Amino acid sequence: MMFGNCDDSEPILAVEGLTVALPKGADRALAVDAVSLELRRGEILCIVGESGSGKSALTGAIMGAPAPGLRVTGGSVRLCGKELTKLSERAWCRIRGNRIAMIFQEPMASLNPSIPVGQQIMEVFELHARMRVSERRERALTLIRSMQLPDPERIFASFPHQLSGGQCQRVIIAMALAMNPEVLIADEPTTALDVTTQAQVLKLIRELREAQGHGILFITHDFGVVAEVADRIAVMRYGKIVEMGEARRVLTQPVHPYTRELIAAVPSLTPPSSKEPVDGDGAKTVLAVTGLAKSYGRVHAVNEVTFALERGTTLSVVGESGCGKSSLARLIVRLTEPTSGRVDVNGKCFLTLQGRELRASCRAVQMIFQDPFGSLNPLRRAGATIARAAMLAGADRRTARARAGELFDRVGLPREGLDRRPSAFSGGQKQRIGIARALAMNPDVLIADESLSALDASSQAQILQLLCKLQNELGLAILMITHDLRVAAQISHRIAVMQAGRIVEIGPAEQVINSPQHPYTRELLESAPGRGLV
Amino acid sequence: MSDGVSRWLLRKGAGMLLTMLAVSFLVFAVLEFNVDDVAVKVLGQFSTADQRQAWLQENGYTAPFLLRYVRWLGEFITGHWGTSTYYREDVLTLIAPRLAASGLLAGTALLVIVPVGLLMGVIAGVKEGSIVDRLVSVFAIVTTSIPEFASAVFLTAFFVFWLGWLPGVSTMADGFHLRELVLPVSVLTLYSAGYIARMTRASMAEVMQTPYIRTARLKGNPLLRVIVRHALRNALITPVTVIMLQIPWLLSGVIVVEVFFAYQGFGTLLYQAALNTDIYLIEACTMVSVVAVVATQVASDLMYAWLNPRMSLRTAGRIEGGK
Amino acid sequence: MTARYQWLRSLARPTAAIGALLVGGWLLVALLSHALAPYDPLHSMVPLLTPGSRGPAGNIFWLGTDSLGRDVLSRLIYGARTVVVVATVATLTAYAVGITTGLLAGYFRGRVDVALSFFANVVLSFPVLVLYIVIIVALGASAANVVLAVTFGSAPAIFRIVRAITIDLRGRDFIAAAITQGESTWRILLVEILPNSSGALIVDFCLRLGYSAITMGVLGFLGLGLPPPTPDWGGMVNEGRTMAFAFPHLVLFPCLAISSLVLGLSLLADGLRQPPGRVGRAG
Repeated sequence: MMFGNCDDSEPILAVEGLTVALPKGADRALAVDAVSLELRRGEILCIVGESGSGKSALTGAIMGAPAPGLRVTGGSVRLCGKELTKLSERAWCRIRGNRIAMIFQEPMASLNPSIPVGQQIMEVFELHARMRVSERRERALTLIRSMQLPDPERIFASFPHQLSGGQCQRVIIAMALAMNPEVLIADEPTTALDVTTQAQVLKLIRELREAQGHGILFITHDFGVVAEVADRIAVMRYGKIVEMGEARRVLTQPVHPYTRELIAAVPSLTPPSSKEPVDGDGAKTVLAVTGLAKSYGRVHAVNEVTFALERGTTLSVVGESGCGKSSLARLIVRLTEPTSGRVDVNGKCFLTLQGRELRASCRAVQMIFQDPFGSLNPLRRAGATIARAAMLAGADRRTARARAGELFDRVGLPREGLDRRPSAFSGGQKQRIGIARALAMNPDVLIADESLSALDASSQAQILQLLCKLQNELGLAILMITHDLRVAAQISHRIAVMQAGRIVEIGPAEQVINSPQHPYTRELLESAPGRGLV
Repeated sequence: MSDGVSRWLLRKGAGMLLTMLAVSFLVFAVLEFNVDDVAVKVLGQFSTADQRQAWLQENGYTAPFLLRYVRWLGEFITGHWGTSTYYREDVLTLIAPRLAASGLLAGTALLVIVPVGLLMGVIAGVKEGSIVDRLVSVFAIVTTSIPEFASAVFLTAFFVFWLGWLPGVSTMADGFHLRELVLPVSVLTLYSAGYIARMTRASMAEVMQTPYIRTARLKGNPLLRVIVRHALRNALITPVTVIMLQIPWLLSGVIVVEVFFAYQGFGTLLYQAALNTDIYLIEACTMVSVVAVVATQVASDLMYAWLNPRMSLRTAGRIEGGK
Repeated sequence: MTARYQWLRSLARPTAAIGALLVGGWLLVALLSHALAPYDPLHSMVPLLTPGSRGPAGNIFWLGTDSLGRDVLSRLIYGARTVVVVATVATLTAYAVGITTGLLAGYFRGRVDVALSFFANVVLSFPVLVLYIVIIVALGASAANVVLAVTFGSAPAIFRIVRAITIDLRGRDFIAAAITQGESTWRILLVEILPNSSGALIVDFCLRLGYSAITMGVLGFLGLGLPPPTPDWGGMVNEGRTMAFAFPHLVLFPCLAISSLVLGLSLLADGLRQPPGRVGRAG
């Protein structure tokens, strides 16, 4: 192996007191605050933190390419003993891609859309090695093959948009490993991938560590992933490392309160023991979906979906991207019109309603959305948004305003917020406003369309708690659309698994999680990272 | 040619035809709906009512409007564009050489505009936020704010009146002189180059922010290689199509410039026609310019599809990728 | 600072400030033309006086006189009035048409969109100046027809912008929320979508005022603008062109006037444009 001047006793990467300053006007002075860490050969060090913790700024600084506006103001970074922070740009160009390589969060966007991927891999050899063109090509093909990609010749000639996300990520890993770097920095490499693809890529990364002995710096916000791959863990918050240690120890006996908070916020895959429906007196079906389908030409986005939702219960629809779960949600609230099927709300047919009747009945099924930033009118004050919803449900102006105040209390927001615009709130708070808006119509069914996906782990946990509380207080029926099995496990009475537009399995939460029937469900459960430890 | 490509071309062609039809209808309706107006414009203000009536009957203007339109359209397609009342010549033979002359002017202008605009834009976009960037932006704003006739005045005042270096008119009366093209081309360049520079700058700046440029840098590419090998081919897709779409603007500018410098081209022809309410000449000129615009729009779409790998006409069929 | 007043802050930037000054200046000139103009713009006195010279009665002509003896400065001042009024009316009309059609096409899509887009494309197939010429020739030269010409020329572009913004906003979740809560379509268009487009539209409005002013100038230059003797900057250039070599003041001042007005509008538009966030994030 060509690790040259690096011996086993030294850490291959040593960071000491690294400080990166933010430009004026940012919410704090330092992106990275005197961070020190060591990476040894053949180990995976996971850096965990929520958004804004400074983990991406750290990786940029280590590569000598901080994001625009950021400056490295102090500390040292040593690669095999050699100091990197004072290097010239020319010297850096010899190190980047050669001895330290990086893989990124959005694989398809990280490849040049106008150049076939094979040539992009060859470019690494062009920059760092002396080879003839034919030899570069051969090496590139070998790399593609080693990534377990089928039909290497075809992949070599493809443009990024012709490959899937998982395939693009493997290409990027191939590019990063081309020159056998000592250090591999992986910045949220699986966050944008489906859970099954994620499992495969994580497996690949573990194999790399074992076979080739690279030191891997793995950045993520997902503790499940951490549990799956980490040898050691460093927890970052506000630019500082608050806890660092052996993976097993940090996960089972966290010392710092923030670490404990983060780990506690991860929903467990074990469902709480037998959830009872909230309303004791007989299950009343509020939402009945029969044979619902939507096709675009020959593509069946939703294919003969049937289920029923009772008052006071939660049904989670779980699946990967493209399975049709979001389309299903939009069909039920009639944002899109189905091609066939029936939706009954409180016993009455919902799909045939028009005009005034529709406006009167639509209050029964309300939705909360995925993206906190896009789900509220940025120019409207929070109180006005909720009051307007109440007025649409029939209240007059004064009652509506009072209701807005009440709902703010119910979702746990301070009343001063009523007069502020969405930009003044955090992601989690915006979701609460969205919930309040939905509640203003006194719905019977609340549909949460991936409403937790854009939130940090701690915000997610809080919103989950809020939804449970609201279900207990109001007897709401909740339809939870999510890709995250942990969320489903925690909040659902029943779980439905969707694949390619169909429901492949549906049943009580414990049963689906502990004894899955359908092979796809089993695959999903096995792919969920960190099953054992978290 | 693959099936998808020929279907796309067919759709574009049909769209073009439909647009031209609508345009022809509009033009005819606006100019020849009121038959009395037509008679006045052709025979002059001092004609008598009897003369007009006789003329209208002779030339088939008593027929209903739609019939007249269809007849006119038929004649137009077959190249019978009527006779100019001002020049007293067949319109088609009148337009052809003038069109060539304007083509020469516009073509020369493009030869200057495109490299200048692209270069300014690329440099400004790469060095976003720097002095060069600000200078280019200011230059672009200033030049696109000065109407062509005004910049013609300024340039003329400077180079003709004050310095006396260049001729003030470009009639090309005694053969072709490059000197006579300098000022007209400069005026056109000032306006368009600034606009193209801004578009290119925006595109370049956007590309430099993308994740794949970051990848290129972190692979160990020096900055120059990043720009030349990775950024340009993606950044120039938009400007190239924008350049094609500048041609309609160029046509408008050409008219003003030709009038100002008395250049005997298509623009001055249309100008004379307008001043003298020469209906048939105006109709023909309008139709010709619309054809030019629609053709460049289709060409621009073609260029965009050819350059953009996501929509590439080259890559045959989508690859059904697995995981 | 709240979103609504953000744009006031952006006026403090140098480009926007200069732009605002230029535009404000011309606006004042237009409004106070009666008070500012030293002479009657239509009144002939001493022809072809150079700037700064005095007439027989000792009265000064700061910018000289034209071939018919009218004071250039006064004509310039009243010309400002003409440009400001006509360009503003024309742009507002174009906006009314463009916004209505753009909202409808972008929100409802389908056949409405196809029809409106087709019509916009037809109008956009004319090189702008050719369109103006056809309209003026067919309908005659008057202020109303100039307004009509500018409306036709600008409305399709505005239509496209509004349509694109509407399509983009329509996909946002807060619109979906309004729909699922039974909000009426009109309210969605006017209260949810339109105000959220205001940022881009205000910038475009400034630019388009500039284009309208240029259009008036060009039409005047070609002799197709407002009929004489109305003072019109473009017309002044046209009239003075033949004598420009000997009397450059006849053309230079109107050209400077129109350039400075449009420059002011462009700078203002540029200054009001919200720049994408460049502050580094900790991430």
